[in-house]
Amino acid sequence: MSILLDKHSRIAIQGITGREAAMVTKHSLDYGTMILAGVTPGKEGQDVHGVPVYDTLKKAVQVHEINTSVVYVPPAFVYDAVLESIACGVKLILIATENVPQADALKFLARAKQAGVQVIGPNSVGMITPKDRVKVGAIGGDKVERCFVPGKVGVISRSGGMTAETSWMVKRAGYGVSTSVSIGGDALIGTSISDLLKLYQADPETEAVVTFSEPGTSFEEDAAELIQAGEFSKPLFSFVAGRFTESMPEGTVFGHAGAMIAGGSGKPSQKMAKLKAAGAHVLERFDDLIPLLKEVLN
Amino acid sequence: MGKILENFSKQLIAEYGVAVPKSAVAHTPEEAREKGEKLGFPVVLKALVPVGKRGKAGAIKFAQSGEEAESLARELLSVTVRHFPVEKVLVEEKIAIAQEWYLSITVDKGKQAPVIIASLEGGVDVEELSREKPEKVCTRHVDPLFGLAEYEAKEIWAGLGLSGKPLTLATQALVRLYRVFSEKDATLLEINPLVLTESGEVMAAASVMSVDDSAMYRHPELSNMVQLGSERAWRPLTELEKAMVEVNEADPYRGTARYTEMDDGNIGFLCGGGGGSLLSFDAIISFGGKPANYSEVGGNPPERKVYGITKGILSKPGVKGLFVAHNITNNTQVDIMAKGVVQALKDLGKDPATFPVVVREAGVNDEAAREIFTAAGIEYYGDDATITEAAKRIVERVQASEAGEGRN
Repeated sequence: MSILLDKHSRIAIQGITGREAAMVTKHSLDYGTMILAGVTPGKEGQDVHGVPVYDTLKKAVQVHEINTSVVYVPPAFVYDAVLESIACGVKLILIATENVPQADALKFLARAKQAGVQVIGPNSVGMITPKDRVKVGAIGGDKVERCFVPGKVGVISRSGGMTAETSWMVKRAGYGVSTSVSIGGDALIGTSISDLLKLYQADPETEAVVTFSEPGTSFEEDAAELIQAGEFSKPLFSFVAGRFTESMPEGTVFGHAGAMIAGGSGKPSQKMAKLKAAGAHVLERFDDLIPLLKEVLN
Repeated sequence: MGKILENFSKQLIAEYGVAVPKSAVAHTPEEAREKGEKLGFPVVLKALVPVGKRGKAGAIKFAQSGEEAESLARELLSVTVRHFPVEKVLVEEKIAIAQEWYLSITVDKGKQAPVIIASLEGGVDVEELSREKPEKVCTRHVDPLFGLAEYEAKEIWAGLGLSGKPLTLATQALVRLYRVFSEKDATLLEINPLVLTESGEVMAAASVMSVDDSAMYRHPELSNMVQLGSERAWRPLTELEKAMVEVNEADPYRGTARYTEMDDGNIGFLCGGGGGSLLSFDAIISFGGKPANYSEVGGNPPERKVYGITKGILSKPGVKGLFVAHNITNNTQVDIMAKGVVQALKDLGKDPATFPVVVREAGVNDEAAREIFTAAGIEYYGDDATITEAAKRIVERVQASEAGEGRN
């Protein structure tokens, strides 16, 4: 098993004819992931590296029984693409697009929640289940195995790039990943760390989870509460980057849009203290992950 | 999050039918006097700077006469309020106030919904008020899909104790202000105070507004009002930062190169992406090093952009070394990074034999990158070292080179 993605994933890419989406399609196919369809209005009948393009997602779903969609359209069209996906009955939507207007995100996240649809992102670099060679998004690029090999560690990262680096650290320690998820760098995202921890808890193939975090939001504080409530009981290894921002003037953004300390909340030191109090293995240095993983998992 | 100065936010509020005091903008003390005379004394003078809590910072003054307006404006125009030099002053009619209320509309990121905070005890610090008298503060979330219904606005004020005509007027003002918030893609609209005047009018006496940078493509009408990217600096942009914005904007659709100058430091910092930069910066500090700047370079930038930002980073006085690091890249071509960095070093006459440069770049095309960096005599690591290990090396080398300079 794994979470979110497996060999039953039937994937379509919304905005498949764009430059980046087409490249991602190629890399995914090369890795062995079945991308079944793409959607770009007005381009039905074309193909992208052999993947058929449709005008509407509705038709792609009818023909290919799509259950997972990846949104690669420009920011102004994300709102509509997500609504289209929800309306078509797709149950898992990953939004890769960055700079989605906040008001749009509020609305489509509310709709998705009502419809029981899992949204990853916006501003996610993707997610991957190496055992089944299934990935969505740019994650892993053209050399997926450099960072992502099958294993028993779940990875959650608020930074897209660090999803790969963290999974590579897991590999360096001698392990692999069950599923790695880039949850998106924005403050308003569909799936939080706690949401994923619940899924990893239920997954018999995940034995531990590593999180890469940044300042801002209350995702880590919420995760600490989840552990204390007994809803996540596997070993959790957490690194919170950006401690230096605490000595900078408040209200300044370093890193992703979600990484803002405001009104005294969202500080890395607070996040670390709460996670530690809840029993998580909090990393002082990112490199501590390697010896700690070995020590705890052996 | 782009901040909007008060003169503009009041203009927007007024367009939606909410009463605001009469006002004018002055750039000189003489102009402040002139504008004050037109409005009639007494007047309020407010420094137009993109920061909140200006009252506490002494950036709001009251003038009874033209002379006083001129001298107070002169004072305001010569100071810096929380790092922002005052270049303009808002001259405003002084309102006869019967009651001061508080109102703000923002987004509760945790609950993923807009939230309205209101109180009949305005004109004060609302964070303090919520701590000390939470019963005087009403917090109400708004359904993101349906927006604010008029009855909800009414319930907020009625619950706080308003009745009669003030209740009707406050309800109408809140409904209109919520429309401003929603239709202008605001991230914050704070009216403190929202006042009931002695003549029974409800008026927005002071406003603070920020809008969503990501939504500016649908608001051409705001383009001259917003200070874009103002959340990425705690002070006005420095000359070097402005130059780096130009480097980035010269090719806006390919890659990102963000640059923030630190007050001191001696290690040039060329890192990315968002998380990788935070990790790298922390790592340098943890080994006792001092970055001279913060940066985020990523998203597969073209060589010209890498070259431009590297030159900028190296041009800051006091930079004694360069650290180049990224997480293992998904799409950024690190050989392109290599070309830009090496060319900039060469053009500025920085020889890696005497000027410490440590690179940790792995990912797309890193075999080619290794060749370019090593041929230039640069200490290079790919996926044979971690970011933290490389950070330790640059700190050691810069410290060693400074110690060497000390001896000479």
